Amino acid sequence: MRRARWMVIAFILSAGIARADENPAAHGKSTYGLAGCGLGSMIFGDQKGWIQVLAATTNGTFGTQTFGISSGTSNCVESSGTQGARTFIEGNREALAKDAARGSGETIITLSAVAGCKDARAVGAVLQKRFAQLFPGEKTPVDQVSQNVIKELRSNSSLACGKIG
Amino acid sequence: MRPARVALLALAISTPGFALAEEGAKPDPTYLPELLAAARNRSLSEDRSWLRLGHWRKRLLGGWESEADGPGLFLSPQGKRDPAAELEATLNGFFAEGDGAPVGPKLGDPSLEHPQCRFPARFAWLAATLRIDLARLPPRSCPRFEAFWRRVSARSATLVFSSYYLNNPASAFGHIFLRLGKEELASGGERLDLIDQAVDFAAVTNTSNAILYAFEGLFGFFRGEFSARPYFYKVREYADYESRDLWEYELSLDERQLAMLVGHLWELGQTWFDYYYVTENCSYHVLGALEAADSNLELLSHLGPATLPADSVKALFANPGLVRAVRFRASARTQLAARTAGLSGTDLDAVQRLAEGRDSAALDATSTPERVRVIDAALDLVDVRHGRDIVTGADPAADVLRQRLLEKRSAIGVPSPPLVIPPPSAGGPERGHGSMRFGLGAMTSREEGSALLVEGRLALHDLADPPAGFSPRTQIEFFKLRLSVADRRRALRLEEASVVEVTSLNPIERFERRISWKLRVGATRVVDDGCHGCVAGMLAVGGGPGIVSAGGAFSAALTADAELLAAPELSGLSGSGVRPGVGPGVLLRLLGTDRVALVGTGSWRWLPLASPRMSYELSVEARVHLGAISVAARWRKAPRAEDVGLVLLIYRG
Repeated sequence: MRRARWMVIAFILSAGIARADENPAAHGKSTYGLAGCGLGSMIFGDQKGWIQVLAATTNGTFGTQTFGISSGTSNCVESSGTQGARTFIEGNREALAKDAARGSGETIITLSAVAGCKDARAVGAVLQKRFAQLFPGEKTPVDQVSQNVIKELRSNSSLACGKIG
Repeated sequence: MRPARVALLALAISTPGFALAEEGAKPDPTYLPELLAAARNRSLSEDRSWLRLGHWRKRLLGGWESEADGPGLFLSPQGKRDPAAELEATLNGFFAEGDGAPVGPKLGDPSLEHPQCRFPARFAWLAATLRIDLARLPPRSCPRFEAFWRRVSARSATLVFSSYYLNNPASAFGHIFLRLGKEELASGGERLDLIDQAVDFAAVTNTSNAILYAFEGLFGFFRGEFSARPYFYKVREYADYESRDLWEYELSLDERQLAMLVGHLWELGQTWFDYYYVTENCSYHVLGALEAADSNLELLSHLGPATLPADSVKALFANPGLVRAVRFRASARTQLAARTAGLSGTDLDAVQRLAEGRDSAALDATSTPERVRVIDAALDLVDVRHGRDIVTGADPAADVLRQRLLEKRSAIGVPSPPLVIPPPSAGGPERGHGSMRFGLGAMTSREEGSALLVEGRLALHDLADPPAGFSPRTQIEFFKLRLSVADRRRALRLEEASVVEVTSLNPIERFERRISWKLRVGATRVVDDGCHGCVAGMLAVGGGPGIVSAGGAFSAALTADAELLAAPELSGLSGSGVRPGVGPGVLLRLLGTDRVALVGTGSWRWLPLASPRMSYELSVEARVHLGAISVAARWRKAPRAEDVGLVLLIYRG
């Protein structure tokens, strides 16, 4: 069979495409509030975070609009950068708080990678040390928590979190 | 508005020296008739890959019909029933002029997109199969598909099984979805699965009424749609919030198959499928999408009439080599068990005190690693107990408790070592017995003499079935029927029928005091003096303390039961045909390895204002498991029945 040779699928990426988070129009910043790309802020807004997530996944109230594959409302790259970090922090708030108190764990490793930090262990140590200031409890709005954490990661130059500069 | 300068598109390179047309090049209209003729000559519309891409299935009376119920998967008005018309419309569409990318408020309307961008998997498949000359049919730029492609960045595809969750009827059989892996690793080498995209097919429901839900779900009143979201939402929801273990089955798809999968999921995102809880459900359409991505896979043909998530995992294993890795992600409750496993009695006391908001003087005197272990366990215990309420804001006191404990933990300033949890020894759903069960046997009773027994069950597992691959705490059965033909009467009669029968054994343990409970909806033959062996509709519930010890080898529950029987002939409440009853129930189970199970039940009922005033039933069943078959011996005693039976049980996928 020569199939293997000619059934190669090539995906061509152009350098000319603006990164989604640098181009507000590409993701409808005005339409979707704070972040445009921020799946997190779209869902969470100023609401209690998880309830919205659960609504989205279990009964689909938000599912079709927010997570639709082709409806185009969440087509940004969320796996890195400031928006990615914010989405991740907000979507993992309780788990991240627990890992931060413990100074280690999967959410810290993932956040470190999303934010481009050099060493997840160092990030864990910083989040643990500054825990009480960064995670003041559920009364604090979730976007405040993400702001706290991102600010901390940015300001601590020894962490070298290169993707959230 | 012009789309981005060069877009990403699936390109099938048909000749070694292929040439990609210039940006903005126009398709050659004289090429279309050539392609249409080639497709017709080769009967491509009946090619199995094409049929899978459109989800067309043979109709009972001939012809084809697509399972997709939304119009979005078809360009031809006849597309749902006519794969050939759809193929021609697709080729026609690929030659369409114009930018066609929806913008602004119409962003969410995929039907405004160019057909090449709506159907990238079709384009890739047709381009490869017809060896389309891409200079004469230039691929377009597709910014929105490209954004999806980049968001997903799939380098692997994994089927995820989320374990049984009895507290939500939608998830009682587990759930299946896909994780499209970026296969990124952290600098320390750890997997970064949380930022992968999860794609699942779920019903868009509009009711929280369980009965309405069951009805609409069974008969296809809900729409099911594909959606994508970061995997961490799934982990938080299932593993944390609902405390369900996740089993992950990584598939050995090559690059082309992965690209086809992502492209096809994009296509499916435009449509919906009527959702049938038992058949066309999450498992069914996820497997259908995988089959479309790789036409060599045989998945749906391995499913029985009821499509259960566990069966779709087994369908993967029916394709040798398809599963290349199995991973296990522990739920909140499993993590708690792992954290408390090695702790001493005094440490466990301290965990309990901390999780209840009290201080532990003994703890302050211990070593740092020990304090870390105790507080880490207490944190998990708080989350297992109060996680929901904390997240929903329903319990501010629990939130304060958790926050205090978190701050106490952070003040120690030492990182916790990673928690490594091996998969449970009972194994994943792939090790479980077939969910359908047929039984043939004989019984003999004092009243009826000997009789032939025939029984069947659509799904899934009872407490005496082979335990591998299932939770030892759960019985969940759907559509069970037991018939007998007595030698004397020569007439077929109903012994038992269940629409649903559920038992959830929850051990009363140090940290968790949840009650065990059971529920049954169905019909049963009355075996007391309430009527002469009539069949009565039945609704029964019960709850009480339980024990599950030694990994499930010994279980017991003592329950307070309430039941309602109804039949025209029944001497029920004040002479009516409705008979309520209340009383205690007891359940005992012993498992001897994976081979032998012994289950005993007993119940006593007070029947107010009915005749008789009380009833009881005792039963014992022993089962020996011999691979795909089991042998069951049963004994039962009730006021008007005493029988023994021997049944051969056959489990089927």
